[in-house]
Amino acid sequence: MGASRFEFRDVWEYITSNQDYLIRLMIQHAHLVFFAIVLGVVIGITLGFLSAYYKPVAAVVLPFAQIMMTVPSIALIGILLPFVGLGFNNGLVALTLYSLLPIIRNTYTGLNEISPSILEAARGMGLSERRILWRIKLPLVLPVVFAGIRTAIVMIVGIGAIASYVGAGGLGDLIFRGIARMRPVMILTGAIFISIIAIFLDIIMGWIERKLIARQT
Amino acid sequence: MIRFENVTKIFSRGTIPAVSNLNIEIPEGTICCMVGPSGCGKTTSMKMVNRLHSITEGKIYIDEVDNSTIDPISLRLDIGYVIQEIGLFPHMTIADNVATVLVEKKWPKQEIGKRVDELLELMGLEPKIYRQRRPSHLSGGQRQRVGVARAMAANPPIMLMDEPFGAVDHIARVRLQNEFLTLQEKISKTIIFVTHDIDEAIKMGDMIAVMREGKLVQYSTPEDLLSTPADEFVANLVGGNRSIKRLHLIRVSEILNRKVATVNMSDTLEAAKKHVIENAFNVVYVVSDTGVLNGFIGKVELKQEGEFVKDVYRSYPEIISDEATLSDALSVMLSNGESYVPVVDDFEHPLGAVSLEDVFKAVRQDD
Ligand SMILES: Nc1ncnc2c1ncn2[C@@H]1O[C@H](COP(=O)(O)OP(=O)(O)OP(=O)(O)O)[C@@H](O)[C@H]1O
Ligand SMILES: [Mg+2]
Repeated sequence: MGASRFEFRDVWEYITSNQDYLIRLMIQHAHLVFFAIVLGVVIGITLGFLSAYYKPVAAVVLPFAQIMMTVPSIALIGILLPFVGLGFNNGLVALTLYSLLPIIRNTYTGLNEISPSILEAARGMGLSERRILWRIKLPLVLPVVFAGIRTAIVMIVGIGAIASYVGAGGLGDLIFRGIARMRPVMILTGAIFISIIAIFLDIIMGWIERKLIARQT
Repeated sequence: MIRFENVTKIFSRGTIPAVSNLNIEIPEGTICCMVGPSGCGKTTSMKMVNRLHSITEGKIYIDEVDNSTIDPISLRLDIGYVIQEIGLFPHMTIADNVATVLVEKKWPKQEIGKRVDELLELMGLEPKIYRQRRPSHLSGGQRQRVGVARAMAANPPIMLMDEPFGAVDHIARVRLQNEFLTLQEKISKTIIFVTHDIDEAIKMGDMIAVMREGKLVQYSTPEDLLSTPADEFVANLVGGNRSIKRLHLIRVSEILNRKVATVNMSDTLEAAKKHVIENAFNVVYVVSDTGVLNGFIGKVELKQEGEFVKDVYRSYPEIISDEATLSDALSVMLSNGESYVPVVDDFEHPLGAVSLEDVFKAVRQDD
């Protein structure tokens, strides 16, 4: 088998003969993405709500999240090095930061797009701001926030490959090693697995999202 | 009772007041209609009552209590509020929408369910069908009904209604108006009813407050507004045809004196014939076994082939309730090119008929 020529049969062969290794990488990858998205959801929704309620917060948070997205992932990981060092934590922080924008933005715009007449009716009927938050705003914004989480997940499953660069593991290992050893089979296997995970999660999240919307209309 | 005392609202310093020096008193159990052109301060006045807007100067008393001393949340829970845009909560079922205030007031679940069904029925929405629907699956008129039901849920003594029937077509609006007036006779709420439609104000209001650029121009009964407008502005608002406007003030039930004989579907044409000849409009009503008005037989129908009433009768394009106004009756007659219109009660049992002549006579007497 030449260094740069391969057939799909080779990919299949690689997969079947390295099952344990691949499963380990997949678990590492999922682990990283899972914790990053949990953090991203908690922080993102909080910041989204704060931005919607307090203009000064929005003036800081929204541009910050926007800029975050434009920093290339390799550069971000480098920037984080002095703060969190190498390994899992670095990957986790980087992925969390990437997941923030879609979640913050959807929470924020979702809240702002709730029709003023709905809020006025609620206020006029005697619901306190806190009750409006629980009974009106949260349920109304939920499907929009969920769409943001879905985008974030799909995105960081892909970006997660980079985390392997700082030793956070995951399917990125296959790609980086493949590059180092000039073995396209490894690169391709890594890419295929990452895509499969992303597509799989996207389908599941899309299904939940539709259920959420259906419950409301 | 609601009393505005020298109420002024200035939104931001230096701008002209949105409401200036407003003085009105709305007695217990009456409807006060606020009318006036767009931006004259109707909504602003209303929102100061439940403290959605603060009052810049002056006081609003609710049953002699200064409303600024009442906690806004508990104040609002006891005031029914209908906004122009309806503002139903799209993520909640109709039942949950209607129950909003009841939940806030921590009513027991069972009683909430009972009350919601009662309100839906009151508003002519079959609970079994509509309870679990979402607002997006209702027509405009149905949504407005739900909006009113939601405001009435906890049986508040006071209601603020901002163009509550604004978002529906004329026919639906007339029906909602009539139903609401009938309801008001039973529930006797103290109501501020905002509208920009002078005809609606004349029809709905016990008193009418005409506003212009934040000031009260005239506060009087509909009759006085029509007979003695305070100035040219009010006169223009009321418009010409004041005697036609007066038709909004008279209910069909007040002048109904024509009876029409009825026959059953299974009666013979021979039996119907006698009634047709005797009747002023040469018709006889055809009713079902349950007494519901199904249609009529006139001279034309008599000539047709058939032995029984059910073979030849025709149904009416439109009938009206005795709660309708003479204006409603007139427009039905004109649009159908008929000289009379059948009048029915809530169960669609025939009560009689109103003719063009009756309408003319009523206006003439009023002059
Ligand atoms: N929240 C606000 N801030 C500043 N100005 C306002 C506010 N609400 C109303 N106004 C102004 O106050 C005036 C009266 O408005 P209001 O909404 O009471 O009019 P309205 O009589 O209800 O008109 P419409 O028939 O169009 O509903 C208008 O000039 C309006 O621009
Ligand atoms: Mg208004």
